[in-house]
Amino acid sequence: MKKLLSSLHPLERKVLPYLKEGISLNELVEKSKMKEIEVMRSLQWLENREVLKINLKVKEVVSLDVNGKIYGKEGLPEIRLLKELKSGDKKTSEFKLDKDEVNISIGALKKKAAIDISKKDNELILSITEQGKKLLDKESFEEKLLKELPLELNKLSPEQKFAYDNLKTRREIVKVDIVKDRSISLTKVGNNLLKEKIGDLQVVENLTQKMIKDGSWKGKTFRPYDIKINVPKINAGKRQPYLKFLNDMRVNLISLGFKEMKGSLIESEFFNFDVLFQPQNHPARTWTDTYHLKQPTHGGLPDSKIVNAVKGAHETGGNTKSKGWGYKWSPIIASQLMPRAHGTAISGRTIASGVKVPCKYFAIARCYRPDVLDATHLIEFNQMEGFVADESINFKTLLGILKQFAIEVAGADKVKFYPDYYPFTEPSVQMSAKHPELGWVEFGGAGIFRPEMVEPLGMNVPVMAWGLGIDRLAMFKLGINDIRYLFSTDLKWLRGMGIV
Amino acid sequence: MPTIDISLKDLQKLMGFDITFKELEEEGILYVKGEVDAFEGDEIKVDCKETNRPDLWSTEGIARQIAPYYTKNKGVPKFDIKKSKHEVIVDKGVEKIRPYFVAAVIKNIKVTDELIKQMVQLQEKVCMTYGRKRKEAAIGLYDYDKLTFPMKYVVVDPEGIKFVPLGFKIEMTPGEILEDHPKGQEYKHLLDGFKKYPLVIDSAKVVASLPPIINSDYTGKVTGNTKNLFVEVTGNDLGVVKVALNVIVAALADRGGMIESVKVKYGGKTIVTPDFKPNKIIVEYDFLNKVSGLGLKVNVMKGLLEKAGYDVVVDGNKFKLEYSSYRQDILHPVDVAEDLLIAYGYNNVEPVIPKIATVGELDDFEVFCEKVRDYMVGLGGQELLTFTLTNRESLFDKMNVEDWGCVEIANPVSSQWSVLRNWVLPSMMEFFEKNTSEEYPQQIYEVGDAVVLDEKKETKTKDVKRLAWAYSGQEATFTYVKQVLDYLLRGLNVKYEVVDVEHGSFIEGRVGRVVVNGKKIAYIGEVNPQVISNFGVKMPTVAFELNLTDLYELL
Repeated sequence: MKKLLSSLHPLERKVLPYLKEGISLNELVEKSKMKEIEVMRSLQWLENREVLKINLKVKEVVSLDVNGKIYGKEGLPEIRLLKELKSGDKKTSEFKLDKDEVNISIGALKKKAAIDISKKDNELILSITEQGKKLLDKESFEEKLLKELPLELNKLSPEQKFAYDNLKTRREIVKVDIVKDRSISLTKVGNNLLKEKIGDLQVVENLTQKMIKDGSWKGKTFRPYDIKINVPKINAGKRQPYLKFLNDMRVNLISLGFKEMKGSLIESEFFNFDVLFQPQNHPARTWTDTYHLKQPTHGGLPDSKIVNAVKGAHETGGNTKSKGWGYKWSPIIASQLMPRAHGTAISGRTIASGVKVPCKYFAIARCYRPDVLDATHLIEFNQMEGFVADESINFKTLLGILKQFAIEVAGADKVKFYPDYYPFTEPSVQMSAKHPELGWVEFGGAGIFRPEMVEPLGMNVPVMAWGLGIDRLAMFKLGINDIRYLFSTDLKWLRGMGIV
Repeated sequence: MPTIDISLKDLQKLMGFDITFKELEEEGILYVKGEVDAFEGDEIKVDCKETNRPDLWSTEGIARQIAPYYTKNKGVPKFDIKKSKHEVIVDKGVEKIRPYFVAAVIKNIKVTDELIKQMVQLQEKVCMTYGRKRKEAAIGLYDYDKLTFPMKYVVVDPEGIKFVPLGFKIEMTPGEILEDHPKGQEYKHLLDGFKKYPLVIDSAKVVASLPPIINSDYTGKVTGNTKNLFVEVTGNDLGVVKVALNVIVAALADRGGMIESVKVKYGGKTIVTPDFKPNKIIVEYDFLNKVSGLGLKVNVMKGLLEKAGYDVVVDGNKFKLEYSSYRQDILHPVDVAEDLLIAYGYNNVEPVIPKIATVGELDDFEVFCEKVRDYMVGLGGQELLTFTLTNRESLFDKMNVEDWGCVEIANPVSSQWSVLRNWVLPSMMEFFEKNTSEEYPQQIYEVGDAVVLDEKKETKTKDVKRLAWAYSGQEATFTYVKQVLDYLLRGLNVKYEVVDVEHGSFIEGRVGRVVVNGKKIAYIGEVNPQVISNFGVKMPTVAFELNLTDLYELL
């Protein structure tokens, strides 16, 4: 009981002395001189503490409406009209009442045979009857009711009901309101609580700067709060979930000894395709498979030494011991610009810029392909791309590095390798990884760069390279089925998304 | 990457071995760089990943390549060719239009449903992918017994002759076919600009075809009653058309057809086709072991290469290899190395993690951007990732500014994604547009890429990382947006000043340009209510956009 007492909010304390069985909210407001909302809140808290129960009764209450309030003071218009008639007959225009009131009154009085109506000069003349005079002698049920209101509708006496029925047909004299009547009943806890002396206990409500400074908090009890209470939600700043995922990938790769490389979103076909030994008439270079630009259309080409070496590789194999594709290579086609179609363009540029062997590089590359945006396709996407150049690179070590990725980066527990084809790698391989929850997933393509690709760029040791589609993995990690959520424009979803 | 339909029963028959579906799916199909895409009963859909081996795009081709792993077959598949007197005379007129013509005759073939199905599919895949949509190779198949030799490959005026095109009932001129026949409409661009069209016609003046558009209905219809076939391929490169012809002929021979050669006369020069003379390559076996890392013995490698379809002669430290005439994918010894590895089985190779000592390193600018992102989260911003593709209306019109030029896509999938953004704030406004029913205030930011035109660069463009920050809510004030930018710039230890500027996206008198060391790096202000309304938003909004690429260079 003591604990309960000390945990009371000041408002609860304030209302406590006025509590008694059956007391209504209105009475409490009146007696405690607190605001209704304060009383209400403290009663709700006390109800949560099982001190009392709030009983809610819904009543229909009849009360005076706009006209009713006036008539209550001045009397009903028909009575006032009758009173005026007592001193003699009158034309309708001669009354002090306004025109509406006169009209209403004539109807009501005619019904009760209290007046006679005649006509002269196109105007009605009213005169009081005997019945009318009798009416003036005693108070009508309607007049009486106006003085008695407000009353509960279903507690009206037969006379009151009769008067109410008459008045409710008339304009804005009476109205019926739904009134929620709250009263309390005390529980056993409540009854015991009321026996306690509440004034004695000193509890601290808010800890203030001053109290800490002067030490006055010492020895005092802090009012315990209802810590289970629901609080309003707030929205704070947060990282984008997919970017967070990509960053984690970055950190993983750094820890495996990779350097991050950068490229340009707009690339020449030279670095998108030619450097990658993709012949210029290859179907994958057509408009249906890649974007082309309207503005700007053509860019420049790099160092002529590289350009000539690439041209040689395409036409005759050049110095690469290859037969080449055997066609006439065009620098014009190569200088056409396009949004980067794959991350391998970045690897090509990096190798062409001259790297120190051994080296490991990676990039998270935004790429563009002409797809329609839907639940399984994006108009732009991210590829995780990279290469390792070292004398020790061969097919066995290629598979070793891939397996390491699958396990360390993607959390897979098994891998399988399949022969595949890419224009710029030979041997080429596609890896499937078995994720403990996701099952077998196509993980990406890899291979050893063709000599026709790397030798013209000045690289003379084997280079293994990979390009992994990371979207599916991201979707799994983020628990989403619709790929568009990687680039979500849904603020509700972003706000609700946990840190992954 | 063609996808083809095959029948398991048909495959078993052609292989001479009852391979099970499981064996095929888990092992056999890997020998042709294939993958079982789907299957239903006997019908199997196969993805063929190798785009340079048209010989593998048929049941016949797959059977030929994988049979050695299950039967006694080995080495280069051999085809018997009977010399014949059949002639084709090539007119000089075709030289500038579609110069090359090669052909073969197949005798005594039993035309089954499966054969027709595979032939239609193989022709289509070869013409589409290897033949670059018929540009480099178009194939015609005819009922040999309806033709009178010698055949002629000539040119004709668009209205110079009439014949019934395949699948039609009325006679049409070549000109009419190009305009009105579905195949004519589809491929007429290949004859664009020519006054005359190529035509294959026999000595009795019966039209065989109008290459590369369509065959004639009379000669070009192959049915169960057809006993002997005439096959021709036209194109612009002799090597390409010879490969396409061999691919078709080899498949027909695998089904029991007898091959007869055809003499093709080009003026004074005559070539005889088909020609199955194998190609040659010499590979050092040390090289193969270097690429594979397997350290295999010479005779083991020899056995594997023979299974992969090579004839192998060991010569000192080298293999002298021969391989099928129709294989165009072997350009370099690495291609042989891959064949060897496929024969060995990728999953029989033990993965080894190489010991390569390198030090990991993040990109410095990326690290800087991360720092900025952390600041923005600390200030209460929800980070966004939005597309760089957008449209002019969003970049300029709705933002109430003049179009100052951007990278434009020539073949957009939708006009909605037709340019690359050159600033990021419009993406923030689009985001607000989509979230008007979500609770306010909304505070968002993105460190995102924008692409600007730059004549001096090799790509005529420059990628710029920009931080766009925006706050939408009743309390949006200039003071607040300036406080946020100030907090960030102080944190980055940047001294700046804000100067007056006019900018249509912002309210006049409530917009500034942020200058660091004389360089203008950001706009900041209260967003113009017209702009807010253009995006269908009803909340006051403040924003800034900061060029991080420029800022980083100043630090």
